[in-house]
Amino acid sequence: MTLNTEKVSLSPLIEQRIKALHQDKMAINNHKIAVKGSLNIDDHGYIVYENFRFQHIPGHESGMVHGCRNLGQNLRKFLNEIPAYVNKNSALATCWIGFFQDFAPIGLVPEDRPPEHIRELLQKYGIIQSGIGGMNHLCPDMTIGFELGWGGLLQKIRYYREFNAPADTSFYDGEEELVLGIQEWIRRHVTLARSMAEEESDETAKQNLLEIARINEWLIDNPPRTLREACQFLAHFQGIDRTYFGGGAMGQLDELLRPFYERDTADGILTDEEAVWYIASLFFNDTHYSQIGGPTPDGSHDMTSRMSFLILEAMHDLCIPANIAIRVHDGINEVLLRRALEYTVEDGFGCSYSMAQGIEEGFAKNGFPKELGRIRAKTGCNWTAIPGREYPLQDVTRCNFARALNWAIEDLKQEESPTVGRLWELFKKHLHIMVNCFKEGYDWHYEVVSRNTPEIVDNLFMHGPIERGLNCAQGGVDIMDLNIDGIGLATVADSFAAIEQRVVKEKRLSWEELFRVLETNYEGAEDIRLMLKNISRFGTPDSPAEKWALKIRDTYVSFCKESLTPKHHLMIVPGMFSHGDVYMYGNVTMATPNGRKDKDPISHSSEPDPGFARGLHTFAPSLKANAVAKTQAGYGNSAPLHLDIDTDLLSHGGGVDALVALLHTHNHMNGTLVNLNCLTKQKLLEAHADPSTHPDLVVRVTGYSAFFASLSKEYRQQVVDRFLANDPG
Amino acid sequence: MEQTEIPGTIFNIQKFSVHDGPGVRTVVFFKGCNLSCLWCHNPESVSAKKQVEFYPDRCIGCGRCMEACPTGAHQFDPESGIHIIRRELCTGCLSCADTCYAQALVGVGEDVTADDVFRRILDDRMYYEQSGGGVTFSGGECMLQPVFLKALLSMCRAEGIHTAVDTAGYVGWKWFEQILPLTDLFLYDVKAADEQVHKALTGAGNELILQNLTRLSKAGANIIVRIPFILGYNDGEMEGIAKLLAPLSLQKVEILPYHKLGNSKYEALGREKRAPKAQVPPAELLDKTVEAFRALGIPASHT
Repeated sequence: MTLNTEKVSLSPLIEQRIKALHQDKMAINNHKIAVKGSLNIDDHGYIVYENFRFQHIPGHESGMVHGCRNLGQNLRKFLNEIPAYVNKNSALATCWIGFFQDFAPIGLVPEDRPPEHIRELLQKYGIIQSGIGGMNHLCPDMTIGFELGWGGLLQKIRYYREFNAPADTSFYDGEEELVLGIQEWIRRHVTLARSMAEEESDETAKQNLLEIARINEWLIDNPPRTLREACQFLAHFQGIDRTYFGGGAMGQLDELLRPFYERDTADGILTDEEAVWYIASLFFNDTHYSQIGGPTPDGSHDMTSRMSFLILEAMHDLCIPANIAIRVHDGINEVLLRRALEYTVEDGFGCSYSMAQGIEEGFAKNGFPKELGRIRAKTGCNWTAIPGREYPLQDVTRCNFARALNWAIEDLKQEESPTVGRLWELFKKHLHIMVNCFKEGYDWHYEVVSRNTPEIVDNLFMHGPIERGLNCAQGGVDIMDLNIDGIGLATVADSFAAIEQRVVKEKRLSWEELFRVLETNYEGAEDIRLMLKNISRFGTPDSPAEKWALKIRDTYVSFCKESLTPKHHLMIVPGMFSHGDVYMYGNVTMATPNGRKDKDPISHSSEPDPGFARGLHTFAPSLKANAVAKTQAGYGNSAPLHLDIDTDLLSHGGGVDALVALLHTHNHMNGTLVNLNCLTKQKLLEAHADPSTHPDLVVRVTGYSAFFASLSKEYRQQVVDRFLANDPG
Repeated sequence: MEQTEIPGTIFNIQKFSVHDGPGVRTVVFFKGCNLSCLWCHNPESVSAKKQVEFYPDRCIGCGRCMEACPTGAHQFDPESGIHIIRRELCTGCLSCADTCYAQALVGVGEDVTADDVFRRILDDRMYYEQSGGGVTFSGGECMLQPVFLKALLSMCRAEGIHTAVDTAGYVGWKWFEQILPLTDLFLYDVKAADEQVHKALTGAGNELILQNLTRLSKAGANIIVRIPFILGYNDGEMEGIAKLLAPLSLQKVEILPYHKLGNSKYEALGREKRAPKAQVPPAELLDKTVEAFRALGIPASHT
C-alpha cells in the first residue's frame, strides 16, 4: 500500500482549536515568566499555580521524603491536592504544575550523601553533576501501559507483591500508592470536565468536554482502545513523569500510536485532522521527547508511517516548543525528512536528527548486538535508550576536561623544566582521577539511590522492576550502562595546540610568561591572549589542534572503558554532551592557554569553539560537521552538532537538498545527532549590534557567502535590511 | 615534478557551497585575474600576489606590524596617530599579518600544492556523493594557473569527483583544449555583448571570450553561462547577450543580480570602489529579462 504523505487540510473547527491552544500556551508561558522569571531550560509545558502549597509526609528523621512507600504516599497526596485542569479546546485533560521536588524535601538523606573523599574530588575538579542521585534519564516502554492501563498496572503490582512475597514490601506499596493516586487524580478530571460541560453554552464545546469526561472515566481502570484514549493515557503519564524529577521520554511515538490509528481509521471513527488535533493536544500538554521514523529492529525497512506525518503536522500546526527527532538512516522516508526541513525553515525551529549508524555501531562496541542499538530511541536532550530495557543515565554527568588542564598547569608550575609532553602526562593524570571519581560515584549511586529516590514512575513502564521487585536503577532492568559526558574538548585541544605553537615551536612566549598571564587572567596582556587564541584551531582540517582533540578523545574514552566501576562492576559508556552548561562550568574553570579568560564559557561537547574558521578556510556547515563527526566518543551515545542555517540557504533552490545531503553524510561519518536552527531575526540583530556575539554566523547571497562578523557595518546593515524585508513579523 | 606537488596560489576554500554548480560543492578560489570588472565582488581575487587586508576597528595598537614589516609599509600618521599602510611599499610577505594577533591585518592568498587543496576537496567527498555535487574551481581566473588547475582536475577525475571550472574565458583556446577532457562542467561568465562596452566594463574586449564560448559549445562541453546583471552598467547588454547565446548549446543560463557585498573588502584592501552607480536590479526587471531570454529558447533563470 502506498504511504499517504499528503499534508492535512484542517477544518475551521480543528484549526480554531489548535490556534486557541497555541494562544493559551503563550498566555501560560507569559504568566510563568511573570511569576518565575526567565527560564534557561526547556519550557516543559507545566502551568504555574503560585498559590499552591503542599505539606509532605516525612519518611525519615531528617524530615525528608524517603523510601518507596513514603514516596508513593506523598505522590498520592500531591496528586489529590494539585489543581485539576481541562482546556475546552484540547482533546485531552490534565496538566502538571511543577516538579514534586520543588514542593517537598527529597533527595539523598544525610547519611546517604557521598563520602568525604568523593566530595573533596568533586569540589577540587569543579564537578557539579556527578551522576550521584541522577534521575529519570531513561526511556519507558509505553506499550506496557497501553496493554494494561492504570487498572492493569495496579493488578500487576499486587500480583507480584504476593508472588514474590518480599520481607519488605515498601517497593510494591509505594508503586501501589502512586497508581491509586493517579487514578484518583484522573477521577477528579472526570468531575471537572462534567461540571465545565454543564456550564458550557456552546454545544460543540460541551460535547468535547463530555467526551473528555468519558475517556478519562474509562481510563481510570481500563487500557486505551482508541487513538484519543491512547493520547490521553500518554498525557496522564507525561504529567506524572514530569512531576517526578522531570522525566521527558515517550519513545518511538509513531509506532506507539500506529496500531490505534490504523484500527480507528479502519473502523471509520477517525479522520486525519482529528488525529492531528489529538497529537497537538498532547504536545500542548508537555514537551516530552519522542522519535519518529528510523529502521525496524532487523534493519530491513523504515518505520515511517502515516502516523509519522501526522505527528510532524501537529508539531507544525501548534507551533510551540516541541522535541521530536527523526532517526536518519539510508532508508528514511525522504518526503518525511524534507517535510521536516521545510517546517524548520517556516517555523524557525523543528525536529532534531538522530543518526542511525553512529548510534548502532557505537552501541555494539559495548558488547551488545547491533539490533539493540537500532531500537534505542532518541528521547532526551541528547540521549538515546532502548524503551523499557535500558538504564543509561546519559546527560547527568559533566567531566570538564578544562579543569584537568587547570590542575595540570598548576602542577607543571612546580617543575623545573616544563615541556608539552610533561603537561600532557599531568593532564592525563588529572583526567584519570576525574573519570575514576565518576566511576566511584556511580557505585555510590547504585548503593543509595533506590532507597532515596526510586524511579517510581518509570518502573511501571520498564520490563523487570515490577516483576522482580527491584528499582530499575538496581537491577530492575537488564541493561545498566552508565554514561559519563566529557565537555570542553576544544578548549583543551586548542590550549595544547597554542602552547605547542607559540611557546615550543615559535618561542614567542616563554613558559614563565604563559604561567604569569594565566595567573593574572591575561590582565594587561591582551596581545598575548590574542596570540594564543589566534592559532589554527580545532575545526580546521589537519590542524595540530585537531590532532590534540583526537588524542584527548582517545585518552578519555580509554579511561572510561579500561575498567568497570571499582566496587559493583557496572558498565561505563563514554559520551560527550554539555547541554547548555558551558557557562556554568566555565564559571568554575580558571583561565586556559587558548586565550580563554577565567570564568568565560568553555567549549560545547566535542564541538569546535565559535570563530574557529579562519585563513583559507571560511566557516561552512560541513567544516564544523566533519570536526564533530571525527571526535565522537564512539560508543553509541550522542554528541550533538549544532548548526544555525540561514533561511536564505534553505529558501533558494537546492538548499533543502544540501541539508538532506548534510544529514545523510553526518550519518555515514558516524555523527550521532544534528540540531538545526534557522537564522532568526533576533540573532541577526544581536550579531549586527555586536558581531563578536555570533562569530560563526554566515550569510549567503547569490553565489557568495561571507562571515557576518567579518563584514563592515554598512554591509551588515544590508543583510539586516534584506532580512527584515522578508520577515513577516 | 609530481602532479601532487604542483604549486598554485589560492585565497579561499569555501565548503558546502550550493550556488556554484550542482549539489553541495567545495569552491576553490584561485588568486589573480586578467579582467578588472568595475563591480568586482571579490576584489581580493584580482591581484595574483598575496595581499594584506586591514580592518582598523580590530587594531589594538600594539605596533608589532611595524616591527615585523621589512619595508616600513606600516606607519602611524604623525599628526593623527592613526595606523596607515603605504601599500606601494608592501611586497606581500605577510609578516605583519603573522604578528597581528588581533587580526586587524589579514593575509589574503596562500601558496599551496595541488595535494594540499586536493586533501581538502576529499574531506567533503561524501557530501558530493549524497547530493550530486563536486568541486568548482573559481577565482579570480582559475585558468591563469593552468598547470595547477589541470593537476587538480586530473586528480579529481581519477577519484571520480565532479568538476566545474568557473571562468571568464579570457585566455587562449589552447588552455581550454588542455582541460576540456578533464572538466565536467564550465560555469562561463558573459558580461557584455558589445565589444566596446565590454572593454569599458572589464578592461578587455570580448572577442576571445565569445570565440572560446562558441568553440566550447561546438566541442560538446557542458556549459552554464552566468551573466552578472549590474544595473547602471550592463543592463543595456542583455538583449545583445541573448542573441549571442541563442545559437549555442547551453545547459542553463543564470542571471546573477548585482549585490554590494564586496564593498567592504575594497576598503580593507585600500582600494577605491569603481562602480559608484551600480544598483541592485529589482526582481521585476530580472523576471522580464529572463522572459526575454526564454523567448529565444534559452533556458534562463535568475537567482
